[in-house]
Amino acid sequence: MGAKPRTERTVSTYCYQCVAGPDLLQVRLEDGVATEVRPNFDAADVHPAGGKACVKAFGLVQKAYNPHRILRPMKRTNPKKGRNEDPGFVPISWDEALDLIAAKLQAARAAGLTDEAGYPRVAASFGGGGTPTAYMGTLPAFLAAWGPVDMSFGSGQGVKCYHSEHLYGELWHRAFTVSPDTPLCEYLVSFGANVEASGGVCGVKRHADARKRGMKRVQIEPHLSVTGACSAEWIPIKPKTDAAFMFAMIHVLLHEHAREFLDGVFLKRHTSSPYLIGPHGYFLRDAGTRKPLVWDLAAGRAVAFDVPGTDPALDGEFTADGIEVGPDRETWSHAGVRVRPAFAHLVTHVKDYSPEWAAPICDVPAATIRRVANEFLDHARIGETITIEGRELPFRPVAISLGKTVNNGWGGYECCWARTLLACLVGALEVPGGTLGTTVRLNRPADNRWSSVTPGPDGFMHYPMNPTEKETWVSRPPVRSAHRTLVPLVANSAWSQALGPTHLAWMMQGEDFEHLPQATPPDVWFVYRTNPAISFWDTEAVGAAMARFPFVVCFAYTRDETNHVADVLLPDCTDLEGLQLLRIGGTKYVEQFWDHQGFALRDQAVPAQGEARDFTWIATELAHRTGLLAPYNEAINRGAAGIRLSGEGYDFSLAPAQAHGVEEIWDAVCRAASAELTDGAESQGLAWFREHGFRVKPFPRLQWYLYPRVVEQGLRFELPYQERLTRIGHELGHRLHEQGITWWDRQLEEYEPLPKWRDLAGLWEDALARHFSVRIEDYPFWLITARSMQYSWGGNVGLQMIREVADNVAGHGSVVMNAAAAARLGIGDGDLVEVRSPLNHTQGRVMVCEGIRPDTLLMIGQFDHWATPFAKDLGAPSMNALVPMMLELTDATGSSADLVKVKITPMGRAA
Amino acid sequence: MTRWAMVADLERCVGCQTCTAACKHANATSPAVQWRKVLDIEAGSYPEVSRTFVPVGCQHCADPPCLDVCPSTATRKRADGIVTIDYDICIGCAYCAVACPYQARFKVDAPRFAYGEVATRNEVERFDPDRLGVAQKCTFCVERIDAGLAGGLVPGMDPAATPACANACIASALHFGDLDDPESNVSRLLREQRHFRMHEELGTGPGFYYLYADRTSDPAPEAAADPASQTPAPTRAKGIAPALQSHWDWRAAGNFMGGGAGTGLLVAFGLASLVAMPHRLIGLAALALVATGLFLVWLEIGRPWRFLNVLRHPQRSWMTREALVAAFLFPLGALGLWYGHPALVGAAAITGLGFLYCQARILTAARGIPAWRVPAIVPLIVSTGLAEGAGLFLALGALLQPPAAATTLVAGALLALVVLRALAWLGYRAALARDGAPTATLDALGRVSPWLWLPGTALPVPILAAGLVTADFVPWLWLGGLAAFAAGWVLKLVLITRAAFNQGFALAHTPARGAGPAGPPVKPGWTFRPAAVVPH
Repeated sequence: MGAKPRTERTVSTYCYQCVAGPDLLQVRLEDGVATEVRPNFDAADVHPAGGKACVKAFGLVQKAYNPHRILRPMKRTNPKKGRNEDPGFVPISWDEALDLIAAKLQAARAAGLTDEAGYPRVAASFGGGGTPTAYMGTLPAFLAAWGPVDMSFGSGQGVKCYHSEHLYGELWHRAFTVSPDTPLCEYLVSFGANVEASGGVCGVKRHADARKRGMKRVQIEPHLSVTGACSAEWIPIKPKTDAAFMFAMIHVLLHEHAREFLDGVFLKRHTSSPYLIGPHGYFLRDAGTRKPLVWDLAAGRAVAFDVPGTDPALDGEFTADGIEVGPDRETWSHAGVRVRPAFAHLVTHVKDYSPEWAAPICDVPAATIRRVANEFLDHARIGETITIEGRELPFRPVAISLGKTVNNGWGGYECCWARTLLACLVGALEVPGGTLGTTVRLNRPADNRWSSVTPGPDGFMHYPMNPTEKETWVSRPPVRSAHRTLVPLVANSAWSQALGPTHLAWMMQGEDFEHLPQATPPDVWFVYRTNPAISFWDTEAVGAAMARFPFVVCFAYTRDETNHVADVLLPDCTDLEGLQLLRIGGTKYVEQFWDHQGFALRDQAVPAQGEARDFTWIATELAHRTGLLAPYNEAINRGAAGIRLSGEGYDFSLAPAQAHGVEEIWDAVCRAASAELTDGAESQGLAWFREHGFRVKPFPRLQWYLYPRVVEQGLRFELPYQERLTRIGHELGHRLHEQGITWWDRQLEEYEPLPKWRDLAGLWEDALARHFSVRIEDYPFWLITARSMQYSWGGNVGLQMIREVADNVAGHGSVVMNAAAAARLGIGDGDLVEVRSPLNHTQGRVMVCEGIRPDTLLMIGQFDHWATPFAKDLGAPSMNALVPMMLELTDATGSSADLVKVKITPMGRAA
Repeated sequence: MTRWAMVADLERCVGCQTCTAACKHANATSPAVQWRKVLDIEAGSYPEVSRTFVPVGCQHCADPPCLDVCPSTATRKRADGIVTIDYDICIGCAYCAVACPYQARFKVDAPRFAYGEVATRNEVERFDPDRLGVAQKCTFCVERIDAGLAGGLVPGMDPAATPACANACIASALHFGDLDDPESNVSRLLREQRHFRMHEELGTGPGFYYLYADRTSDPAPEAAADPASQTPAPTRAKGIAPALQSHWDWRAAGNFMGGGAGTGLLVAFGLASLVAMPHRLIGLAALALVATGLFLVWLEIGRPWRFLNVLRHPQRSWMTREALVAAFLFPLGALGLWYGHPALVGAAAITGLGFLYCQARILTAARGIPAWRVPAIVPLIVSTGLAEGAGLFLALGALLQPPAAATTLVAGALLALVVLRALAWLGYRAALARDGAPTATLDALGRVSPWLWLPGTALPVPILAAGLVTADFVPWLWLGGLAAFAAGWVLKLVLITRAAFNQGFALAHTPARGAGPAGPPVKPGWTFRPAAVVPH
């Protein structure tokens, strides 16, 4: 070591650079300089991973001291925008920068909060799956004070997220993301879920513990990811055929095993399996109460689903009377009609989906598919129970997890449905050991999943669908992605805009979508912790669209490909420089299942470098300069900084009329947090949190599981038969057609009660061939991507240390290719190649390996930088420029999948 | 007693490199220097492929090859098993780096920063000039251990007393503790779980254990792999398979070339002086060659002005012994040449022989380089050094006209040496084939082999034999000598800079993960060939 430091201390803080956080950590400071990140062992008994921090957190020191940082506000001097235009940024003062922005905002406000097309004049894009909120201080309060803001310009959502899972997961079991109950699970079938790369410290720890316990995980994916590596078995499946595999698993369970091997109690009592289906495909209902009917085997007649003491039939055909309610309240009355339960329809539906049928589709032997299905069933322990916090619950230690590209885009519905249904068949949904949801982002309230469980129609949970009825349908989109108009499932929470078809917002900037208002560019676009010019799909088109935006404000860490079109660059504090209190614990994304809940402080470990400013200071200044101080402070008081500042017996509200300092604001937030956690008994503020880092109280483990809450309320999981969605889909079709919109017709096909197998590979190939007028045979490879634990969401591609350690993990920065396939084309390890899709091309060096299918290429992470310092010299390929944004490849939830057909051409030999 | 050791659970490790990053923070290592890192090893052929993440670094061996070779005694082993480096006395010769079969040692000669020339603030704060030009490696965070113990903490249990990598490991894959305490965490793990150590066959006694699971009670997949398909495929072996050592370059090779030929020439000079004293310039050339070799290696060491520290380890280091022999060789040679006394010249020649032997043993002690460590390299190095010297003697004879009797004697000796060298070459390559060697090493040796056979043997043998039989061929002896000499130099240049692939990394077992049996061994980049089919 060098000379002994004169002073040394540690600061507790958190890293929330990715959705698998926050990780609690400590920063060692020597002579006031951050030198080392360490786990926070003070949180060892509180944090599910013992207070450990992931590799990305170790990049924070270099992130603070990166010489490429923007450390002064800058303004653009070249009015022309585009990749080949030098922005001519010149330094300006904070005053000038803020005045400039405030003037644009004032002008927008004066012109009306929405423009002539009805879209908000101010737009904002935040990346990282919502994680920027852990760094943006009180900006949400400013946005709340402002009014309508368009947050639908995506930065990766839809194609880079678990999109179908978000929507269907929330509908079926309050699962914005889905997780196995890893600590109890014994058999996990993972279709491309890359938990060892994207599960964060909690996911990695839980799965490592599970392996030691003997949990068998079967990883089914086209390439051997780090998760595949750490699994008991790798089954290389053809890309985008996962639904066929799962359909065949359902077939095995329903057609190759006697019914008593399934969880009949769960199916009869906790799902819609016994609901009778009428001739039009809708539930047969009691004509008076309109309640769905089931066939009571004991009484030998149809009764309402909620009549106690019945023995509802799952199989068979019966004669009954009743009504069906279709779209737009259309009603059919039936007398003596032959009907079958939903379950019987399911059995028929999957009759042809045998392992032998799936084998050639998936390129997986039928015996393997059958064995996995049987092992899944064998491990389910149907009939067993476990006691959690004094409550006896079913114990079903089997689960299925889905990864990106499996659970988004076309096929996402099929896969999410099949996964959730398989859990239902063995009673493993939302029970210990089984398949669980993590958190809610569309349902409300969002404080925990239990709170959001309220009764809805037909014995199911309520779901806040966007309306499709004639009177209430949102015919004029409130934001540029038209999410509320097109996607009922995306709901209308604060998160909905960030989901939905965010690529439509970009596409509409260049294309006319018939019978929707012509999309306008926003007057002011704020960008924070995201780089859509790199992280989206068809990045060239996205880059071109943003270059047409008249005024762009980027909170800039370094120069990058998006802030290349900025008019103003604002240097905000990086992770170790700013101050914020964050809610932690409970159950959250990915595998964050805590036995505690509370708050952690992101303390200022090092002084702000240069003229970087704390985000709360920036937000307060913006509020002040736009005359919105009072609503801004009131928004903070209402909870925009993460917690209401007043409650029973305490009130730390900020005076609305004045500007408050950063520490003053967070001191009030800390006091409210202390009060909330102690039911008002204590009120320690910022100083206390600085000393201790975090504060928690117990979170009941019972709340990891939704089952007890659903049962308590007498509700059922809305599976297998999607009657409600079918009706809504038809209504949506009516509304769109009434407005003359036919370009969403293909998406309407997804609204099926029981999803049918679609040839997804063919769908992609046909769409690409038609759209680009190419011979698809010329593009023989599927190009896919995978998450990198070292980089994902981190905005850390400019950090040397991250690059150095990431390079130890095979595949980073390369075109990963099967050895035999490479040999056939005369391509050797390290050779330079061009990878070309019908849309665009990229270049990179090949890494040949055995752990990938011969028909598949892999590019890990997102690169192709041309402006970001350090990253632009990496020469790492990226698929993002190669994946087209196409309506045809957009599913009903508004997402697509991250894959495309490509060809590969040798460019040069290994260096 | 205490024996600190690391246990890495291969079933748990996910290759995330958090330990790598934590180590870089804790120890402020330069860019590209990773005292701890995790390898990503693929084995098998599609679709029967395994991928294993393997933490590596200094193994803190019970019998550390780095310690034996270190000429300065900078590398030491503490009573608790931790192998340390004293930056204040290390001369930066990198001998330890080539001796380590685990590629655990680094040497940084000039300041290196994350973003080029200018250090970031944290780099300025942690910059340590003492670490420039010297060997460096994992210390098991010895300062933490010592400070922790002083504070009554238990390393491996109390984070403040535990290596940063183990603390940081998010999969609980890295465990640190005392092997001598039967109740320690690591003792318990090793007692309860299957384990192996890397390169166990080398006898270094690593203090680094790998746990691998084998859950054979689980049924194997129905498509059980054909055993042949389980043969590890070398497809993705970069960074795993043996790599060409980069610590010793042409300058180090120069020492073996100059030292070998110089001492060989000195021996030839001494031999010739038994019948007639040759021209003194030949003897001078011999000393100059040895000196040049030593000068070249001096140019290579990281801390040249500490060169006298090379003498600190005569007990075990052949480098120290070489230096000590050199300390006698030059005065004896100078005196022999000055006085022209055959006894002094003979003494110098015998010292030269000793120097040559030290050089051979320097290579065998470098246990990190399979091409060097085989004992069969000793006769090869000695015979080629002597052949180079005798050959050079004859070549110089064309200019300096030594007495005919001396020429005949040396020619006869060279003939014998060339034959001996050819036999030594066969023996050396047979030994490599028997013991196994990096494929790239065998390839490099295969490429240099024609040099040994054609200019090295086939050309000089008839010339020398003819020269011994008839005076008509004496004028051509220089050519035979030059060819024998040149072939020797090419051989040594290749041995040091082209064939010197390191041990690489290997696994005795790949782990099961959660279920199923453990996998077969993995040793990419290695070839085992029956001796009978070794290409000559």
